[in-house]
Amino acid sequence: MIRTFVGAVAATLAMLAGLWLMIAPFALGTQPEDADWTNATQSEFFSGLAVAVVGLAGAIAFALSIYEELVTRGLVVPKQRAAEPEPEPEPVPAAAPQASSADLAGLLAPLVEALREDLNTARHSGEHRQNGKAPLVGVEETR
Amino acid sequence: MKAKMGVSALILLFVAGLWLVAAPFAVGYQPRGAEYVDATVNDLWLGGGIAALSFVTLVIYAADALRDLARRGKHADV
Repeated sequence: MIRTFVGAVAATLAMLAGLWLMIAPFALGTQPEDADWTNATQSEFFSGLAVAVVGLAGAIAFALSIYEELVTRGLVVPKQRAAEPEPEPEPVPAAAPQASSADLAGLLAPLVEALREDLNTARHSGEHRQNGKAPLVGVEETR
Repeated sequence: MKAKMGVSALILLFVAGLWLVAAPFAVGYQPRGAEYVDATVNDLWLGGGIAALSFVTLVIYAADALRDLARRGKHADV
């Protein structure tokens, strides 16, 4: 635990040193203005960049290591990620509402009409219905 | 695993510090026999500092790890 903390501090300090190295040629005035970068400037800048990046990576690695250890010891409770909203169940097509008698009548109207025509043709042609005496249309209309 | 990455970073920093100390002479912006220019002084101080810091940190890390090992060994005996 202590060693990872010391490592994190050292890596952070190194990162700061790297940042200073990047700006040092301009801060110290060793890089002439409006001129190409000298060898010294290039060397310091890119070395500083590398040191800063490595220092940052080290600090992050040590910090994550400390966090892991704290979690292992139960001193830190990892944050629960916000539960992802469950995908909404696909809307189940609601059971078709029971058709009212008016709807039914509307639906059956073409059928009734066809039967009426059928009956009329049968009457005109002299055929008789065998099943039931009441006309089918009348039955439907009284429902 | 992450601590190993951190240790690797410390080793890299140590090497980078050594490079910074050598850079003025390796790259050639410090004339031989002349008084140190500002860039050289800056590089020497920072390079030396980074190398020393990372080295000391590595030593502390190793010492603590060894102490941990020794403690576990004692527990194993009991």
